[in-house]
Amino acid sequence: MELTITTLKKSILAASIAVLFGSGHAFAKSDDQHKMHQLYQDNCASCHGADHGGYLAPALNSETLKGRSPTALRTLIMTGSFETLMPPFFGRLSDSDIRNMVKHLQTTPKLDNPPWTLQDMKASLKVYVKDVSKLPNKPTFKIDSMDDIIGVAARGKYGRGQGSEAVFINSKTHTIIGKIPTVTAAHIIDFDPANERWAYVKTDTAEIYKVDLYTMQAVRSIKTGWNGPGMGVSRDGKYIMAGSFVPHNAVILDAETLEPLKMFELEGIDPDGKKVSSDSGMIIGTPYADIFAIALENAGQVWVVDLKDGFPVTKIKNVGRHLHDAFLTHKGKKLMVASYDDSIVTAIDLEKRKIIKKLKAGCVPHVGGGAAVKVDGRVLGFGTNFGTCEKTVVSVWDLDKMELVKQIPVSGGTESPAAHANAPYVAVDIITKDRRARTVQLIDKKSLEVVKTLDVGGHAYFPEYSADGKFLYISAGYAGDEVVVYDSTSLKKTANIQMESPAGIFSRGRVKYMTRGLSPDEME
Amino acid sequence: MKTLSYLLISVFALSFSLSSQAASIYAGQSKAAAVCAQCHGIRSTSAEAPFPPLAGRDEEYLESALKQYRNKTRISEIMNNIAGSLSDRDINNIASYYSRLKP
Repeated sequence: MELTITTLKKSILAASIAVLFGSGHAFAKSDDQHKMHQLYQDNCASCHGADHGGYLAPALNSETLKGRSPTALRTLIMTGSFETLMPPFFGRLSDSDIRNMVKHLQTTPKLDNPPWTLQDMKASLKVYVKDVSKLPNKPTFKIDSMDDIIGVAARGKYGRGQGSEAVFINSKTHTIIGKIPTVTAAHIIDFDPANERWAYVKTDTAEIYKVDLYTMQAVRSIKTGWNGPGMGVSRDGKYIMAGSFVPHNAVILDAETLEPLKMFELEGIDPDGKKVSSDSGMIIGTPYADIFAIALENAGQVWVVDLKDGFPVTKIKNVGRHLHDAFLTHKGKKLMVASYDDSIVTAIDLEKRKIIKKLKAGCVPHVGGGAAVKVDGRVLGFGTNFGTCEKTVVSVWDLDKMELVKQIPVSGGTESPAAHANAPYVAVDIITKDRRARTVQLIDKKSLEVVKTLDVGGHAYFPEYSADGKFLYISAGYAGDEVVVYDSTSLKKTANIQMESPAGIFSRGRVKYMTRGLSPDEME
Repeated sequence: MKTLSYLLISVFALSFSLSSQAASIYAGQSKAAAVCAQCHGIRSTSAEAPFPPLAGRDEEYLESALKQYRNKTRISEIMNNIAGSLSDRDINNIASYYSRLKP
């Protein structure tokens, strides 16, 4: 009931704004297409796609916006959209620009994937620190262990500008150590498993920054595409692999210099027999071998790339319909891949390079960083599910036997689980777009039931434990503008750390335990 | 649960003692999150945003400003419309909430 009332009030508000703003102004006569194209690329493309085909946010083109009221669209651009990342552009873009933008969007078809070639990549390489051998060889700040570092991808309210940065925090003192400006929203942070000083930050617009954690500065950057979150680091720290949604390719970089070494066109036959060009899903390096695994979202394939001469590829086909993210288990030899459209998580044996089994998941499985935990002698995996369906659950699988143990009812759609060997609860973020989005639910590892709901604030998502498991970090994202820290056992609020629209949280401890929740012993 | 009831009691005590109308900072928090925070933020606004922050501002000022926007004695295309959707009680709650937040 509460929900209906809130929604009703909001629609009245939106409608009244729409009526008052829509008082019969005609569009400016000359719509400067070029100017609008540039304005779109500078303000909208990082979320809505450089090709108008959508990315984090809906596709904006003549097809998807057909029949939509220009007045309502103008209002939406001015005020932003509540409970989403869409910011208000009132005061940032002029009224005539907003009106012309609406017209531009409603008349522009989805564009062809703009190319981004190996040459483009090479030309985009920037060097900020010429000689890294002259940098100090230990941290320039006080910290017990570099594993205590937690990186937060702060999006910035507008997905770009001053608020967009990778924020690095000491997870024992809950203080900010350094901030790396990223121009557009930081999205993914990966750490070098072999050398603790390096981290890699990927932005919404596919720039990768190589960050020196000892001195908290970016040393190099390269633009690997137009967008796409996929990025992985090899176990020896020598290679980075990055994949894009636009265009459909992936690239292996030399981690030392960020020079591109080999590009892969992502296309293949999907499970329904159609030849498709594909977005890049997750890319993962594993502690068990010198390989990368990459999911081809639309082709439903997982490719295993050997890190040797020529970077040969083994293709594992028919993994699922619309793959997305994945996590590792069993010393990194097994890979659990989420498949959106058939609501399964497929277990892959990376050693034999074949499918072990397709496991039942909830609706639209999105495993985020994944979570696996040893409980009473068996390894349990926890799978979150993105979709807001009639029944919303978190799946629990026995990863030794590869079978479903339980579907735990939770209060809404979920996006990312967190677990730790030393923490009693598995945290899942509720993302259903109403007041539930403020909350994170905690599942007791033993009873496998939800035992507590935290009201974190903002759009609460991406929970992550500190490396020692003592603290639970959660982003109060969207307009929440802070990271909230809880004691993992008492669940008391311990600290708030201010930043603009925080999203993904990545502990350096992850390189030690491979998948959140596993103990470092699992890697031996 | 104990902490929550304690909090609730102290919040009620606070609101009764500090304000003639019983403003609820809880109701203010939820209204602010739904109506104001998108532009003005909670503790601070975006470094890139053209909107003033509201946290820690004087309660009476916030209340009178919102009422002026609502009855259009203060003109702003966007604020006249947004404030127009708020009741006296909403304004009271929102002002009470933002004024008590540390920026």
